[in-house]
Amino acid sequence: MAKRLKAAERRASILAVAKVLFSDKGYHGVSVDEIAVRLAVSPAILYRHFVSKEALYEEVLNEIACKRESYVDVVVNSDGSFDDVLRKITRIYIDSVSRDPDYLRMELHSALDGSDASRQFFDNRWKPFTDFIEFSLGELMARKALAPLNPKVAALAFQGMIREALYAKCIFHSSRYSDVALPELCDQLVSLFLDAVAYRGEQPGLAASPHEGR
Amino acid sequence: MLNADLEIDARGLNCPLPILRAKKGINALDSGQVMKVVATDPGSVKDLEVFCKQTGNQMLESSQRDGEYHFNIRKG
Repeated sequence: MAKRLKAAERRASILAVAKVLFSDKGYHGVSVDEIAVRLAVSPAILYRHFVSKEALYEEVLNEIACKRESYVDVVVNSDGSFDDVLRKITRIYIDSVSRDPDYLRMELHSALDGSDASRQFFDNRWKPFTDFIEFSLGELMARKALAPLNPKVAALAFQGMIREALYAKCIFHSSRYSDVALPELCDQLVSLFLDAVAYRGEQPGLAASPHEGR
Repeated sequence: MLNADLEIDARGLNCPLPILRAKKGINALDSGQVMKVVATDPGSVKDLEVFCKQTGNQMLESSQRDGEYHFNIRKG
């Protein structure tokens, strides 16, 4: 028999179970009955907290999509340079995502479902990377510390690398990368990116051609 | 109206950029001097409070008007 829970606790337990099921099977692959069975409660209990499966799905998505990393610690404990901050915020981000791989699955589902939550996923989780890289590279170029390149495209390339690494390690568990742990893999990708944009440090006059020395 | 020794424009920027600008700005000041930060990211309110606590600087004023967040921070 299901233990009697306070309303807030019951709501939280419904969201936790629904998150696991939706992330595994998507919106259409999960029924209210299945969620109720997993919780050992009647469907009526679920409908008392959420008016429909759609409402429950939206709430699960919003709960995950609204999570936003705080990078204050990273900045305070960094030397303030582009490479140090980028390396550290990437590490914080991948640690957070790999602790909760359901996040990635829900992000993919929300994009395929055309849900508004997919915009929130982007704004809260990926946009900080885009903005940070784009603005920082632009500033470095303005100070002649970096050779001209397209910061927008560079930020897109970085996102693509990290996103693919997360999918390979956290969703597909690809054997191709089994010899390297996710943090180390991402660290190598950050180094590759810095090399690709010919980052040489923060001082003016350090700009090198992106193809120099190749 | 408090006169700031340095003004940081972080409008249009999202975390971690406002904090990064604040860190670079405060490093350029002497103890007791005041830095003003203007931001548009709502997350900057909490972020700059945490920043001040962690770095030993003092949040003198935090206000919002016309969709902008204004902060006056005294270097510790």
